[in-house]
Amino acid sequence: MSVDRGKLVFVLPGLIVLVAIILFPLLFTIRVSLSSWDVAQPGLDWIGVTNYLRLAEDTRFWESFGRLALMALGSVALQYLLGFGLALLVWRDMRAGRFFRVLFLIPMMTTPVIMAVIWRTVFHESLGPANDVLRLLGMASLPWLSQAGLAMTSVIIVEVWQWTPFMFLMLLAGLLSLPREPFLAAAIDGAGPIRTFLRVTFPMIAPISIGAIIIRLIEASKIMDTVYVITSGGPGTATETSSYYIFIRGLRDFQIGYAASLSFTYLVIMAISLTIIAKVLARAMIVKDRAA
Amino acid sequence: MKSVKLTLLATTVAVAFGGTLASAQDFKKYGIDKDVPGLCSYDSISKKDYKGRTLSIITHAVPVMGEPTDLHAKQFEELTGAKVNVVHVPFGDLFQRIMIPFQTGQNAYDVLFYGSHWIGDFHNYLAPVPKAYFNAPGMKDVTLNYRGVATWGNEMVQYPVDGDRHYLKYRKDVFDNADYQKKFKEKTGHDLAVPKTWEEYDEVANFFNNWDWAGDGKPHFGSAEVTKRDDLMFSAFISRAAAYAKNPNVKGGFFFDLKTMEPLINTPGFVKALEMFVKAKRYFPPGGDSFGLGDEIFSFGGGQTLMSYSWDDAFIQAMEEKSPIRNKVGAAPLPGSHEVWNRNTKKWDKFATPSTAPYITWGWTSAVAKASKNKDMAFDYLCFFSNEANALHDLQIGRFGVNPYRNAHFTVSFWTDKLGWDKSVATQYVNTLSGMDKSKNRVFDLRVPGVNQFMTSMAAGVAEAMAGQKSPQQALDGVAKEWNQIVARIGKDKVREAYANVVALEDNK
Amino acid sequence: MSALYRALKYAAILLWSAFVIAPFLWALTTSFKTANGITGGPTYIPWLQYEPSLEGWRLLFRSGGGGIAIGGPYLSSLVVTISASLISLVLGTLAAYGLSRFTYRAGFVRNADITFFFISQRIMPPVVLAIPFFLMLQFLGLLDTEVGLIIVYIALLMPIAVWVMVDFFNTVPRELDESAMLDGCSPFEAFWRVILPNSKPGLVVAGLFCLIFGWNDFFFAFTLTFTQTQLLPVAIVALNSSVTPWWSLSAAALVSVAPLVVVAFVLESYLSRGNLAGAVR
Repeated sequence: MSVDRGKLVFVLPGLIVLVAIILFPLLFTIRVSLSSWDVAQPGLDWIGVTNYLRLAEDTRFWESFGRLALMALGSVALQYLLGFGLALLVWRDMRAGRFFRVLFLIPMMTTPVIMAVIWRTVFHESLGPANDVLRLLGMASLPWLSQAGLAMTSVIIVEVWQWTPFMFLMLLAGLLSLPREPFLAAAIDGAGPIRTFLRVTFPMIAPISIGAIIIRLIEASKIMDTVYVITSGGPGTATETSSYYIFIRGLRDFQIGYAASLSFTYLVIMAISLTIIAKVLARAMIVKDRAA
Repeated sequence: MKSVKLTLLATTVAVAFGGTLASAQDFKKYGIDKDVPGLCSYDSISKKDYKGRTLSIITHAVPVMGEPTDLHAKQFEELTGAKVNVVHVPFGDLFQRIMIPFQTGQNAYDVLFYGSHWIGDFHNYLAPVPKAYFNAPGMKDVTLNYRGVATWGNEMVQYPVDGDRHYLKYRKDVFDNADYQKKFKEKTGHDLAVPKTWEEYDEVANFFNNWDWAGDGKPHFGSAEVTKRDDLMFSAFISRAAAYAKNPNVKGGFFFDLKTMEPLINTPGFVKALEMFVKAKRYFPPGGDSFGLGDEIFSFGGGQTLMSYSWDDAFIQAMEEKSPIRNKVGAAPLPGSHEVWNRNTKKWDKFATPSTAPYITWGWTSAVAKASKNKDMAFDYLCFFSNEANALHDLQIGRFGVNPYRNAHFTVSFWTDKLGWDKSVATQYVNTLSGMDKSKNRVFDLRVPGVNQFMTSMAAGVAEAMAGQKSPQQALDGVAKEWNQIVARIGKDKVREAYANVVALEDNK
Repeated sequence: MSALYRALKYAAILLWSAFVIAPFLWALTTSFKTANGITGGPTYIPWLQYEPSLEGWRLLFRSGGGGIAIGGPYLSSLVVTISASLISLVLGTLAAYGLSRFTYRAGFVRNADITFFFISQRIMPPVVLAIPFFLMLQFLGLLDTEVGLIIVYIALLMPIAVWVMVDFFNTVPRELDESAMLDGCSPFEAFWRVILPNSKPGLVVAGLFCLIFGWNDFFFAFTLTFTQTQLLPVAIVALNSSVTPWWSLSAAALVSVAPLVVVAFVLESYLSRGNLAGAVR
């Protein structure tokens, strides 16, 4: 079997199935963004690029990107640092390693739409344990959900709690699948733990790091249930991210056409941003690789 | 000859007697007091045979409205042999779950329970209530308000199963406390009384803020209000704005000037209300800036705050059997205002007695889908759900979310006898609620197509002002601008035509 | 390994563990409360600080009487999630291997573009996909069915499988396949016999992610069903009425995370069994 024919067998089934399922929704989204499908006039009429012109002037939409960047980049960076740190701590030489490895995975397995309610009860300023614990420690209560900066912090805390396991798992699996030889070589060279990490571990795991970061950035940007339940975009518009704004326009206001145009714009911006971020990360992480 | 007549007579008597005995005993097991004869009494419904047919119902999450739907669905199944499928959805997701099938022509549900202010968006998809049900005595006893809420133009397209309103709730025990009355008089110079204006509300709430007036060692606060932006905050703002912006002498529109469809949301009445709302933050409990309805219910119903104003739920929660503040709460109409904005003269009209504008807020309603293939079953179900016996039963269970909507429900003895409420509490409650029916200066929700768009826009503006991101005037100016855009998108005539219905309700023609 | 390092290491681990467990403990104690146990302020210890009740748990298993029955939805979720995850994993792993090892070119589209195409499916906010997927399933007559949901989930989960496996395949040195093929294996045999067994950690991760994202999806399960099919998150959320039921939702959170924990426990051993660096200090 020639390599040429063989290689198609691998990629085509998945590609065909995926395209078959998402082709119509994608095309529909583009088509509906060129219509004025709204709560009072369903159906695909044609209004050209009116929706796009409208969104160009939609300051609320553009401001939401700033908040999105802050929240997504901030929480993903934290998740990466914590996840990587934890993976490094527990991947070997670990008593009860198995227990901790499974324990650390659990937050990621909770259903966001349910967990968000629980977190809201935690941060509830009168009835929740967050302020209670602060009081026990002798500190003042904080307006977790009523003050702009703290509201954003609350959302980030929830995100970090829930998704650090994602980074942890990816990096743990990555660490466990690294080949032994470079480590042996480094040990023979007399490298200490820090040098081994910087010269061997980190660069070798860079592709997985980048992959994990990109996936998490994509997912983090879509955050919706958590914001809806915990802060409802507030106070004011302080935690209103782009995807939350699209949700309000799309399913609350039922402005389907406009929401489609917002989504498509969001898609393009995200695609471009992620490509740039991926390239930057590759440059930063792999440049340390000296021993190929 | 004689023996035949006698036998006939005997048989008839036996059948009649036996028949009455049979129907009298069958239905008590369903928890009702007694079956009230009528179109959809237990007796009538039990005679229907829907075996082999399935009814699909979408309703609110359990228990509010969700649990009675389940309960009566099960009873309906037993009585008629039908199969009833019920699906429960939280309020925030209910609109989309109903609208997507409607707009895509998918016949998903026969019976729908939802918020009555969506009538503007849904009415094209709903089946009008047939004459037989419309003329039933149970329907005729529904108060004018709630029959109005169920009507679009000339047709009744929603089926009344509940009646809702916003009213003021307060801690009677605190207001009656002689010591506090003295302290209040000393500090402010007037008597402590149930607030009749929002300024009085402000003063009282501020006085009772952040100290332990309940004697349980914890600080208590002035007011619990629904402030979570995309939750139900829009209704809280309307409650506060009604008195300032609904002028009893100026008809023809509260949200819009009906003639020109110019938004009135940024006129001084609304701006003043927003200023008062922002000012109110200082007597909210911690976290009160982002309370959802559930938080408000826990806060007032759990005894944390002195006053609240929203639907019945918090009051009912407070009056629950195990509640620590049972029989310590009182009901009163929403505060009014000495000054109301007059948009014609562009001046504030002054009233010696505060002008009030009850807010007949949206609540739970039901309807039958036009595309349904089971309309007969569907209307029978709804009629059965709300038959006199069931309604009286459901009213007694607070968590069911069914609140008074028939004239027969506004009798004090019902609340004192069935639920063990104190006579004074029950009397206040009944008077407050029934008083709203009689007012000629009422505010209803903006029941037009696109209501959600107008309300999310308004809520966003109010939230920005509350968060200090904009001044009240700036925020509402932004809302007015958006409202103009929304009207243009949906179609001015469409909105005006729909709004005319609302104005007719408000002016109580 | 110095004692200080060990002490710091375990301290860090314990600190993080506390952070992980805290919300679950809070959920556990809250699941036994009633409204009175909540409105007075945060309470933690049953009997001492509040009157415990089983109502929160009972509401999960009682249909009617203010509760829901989660048995049926539990089963539906299992069927849909496992089916969609298996199919996504198989198709995704195959595609990932191809993208990692071979060069594709169709016009100006290269490997990196195809890979990016896969993952870009996750970028679109679900909100706008509600109506087109609805219309699509309506056309196929698959609304309110488990099969319909499985189809939609495949489109959602396959990108994750592809993206994760491409990364993991890229860390397995090419020399392994090349030597296998030199030995006379076809590409598929090289894949099946040599590379796959060495990629167990990657498969565990990809499989786990598919299961997790599938099990916990709310939006599509909610939008594309009516009365006949109900997945677990949708059933649980049916309890979220005007009075937020802290108690039953807490119980529900614990109940819905349980199966995944079991799966994680089982799969974790596969993670460490493929451990190639175990002996290195």
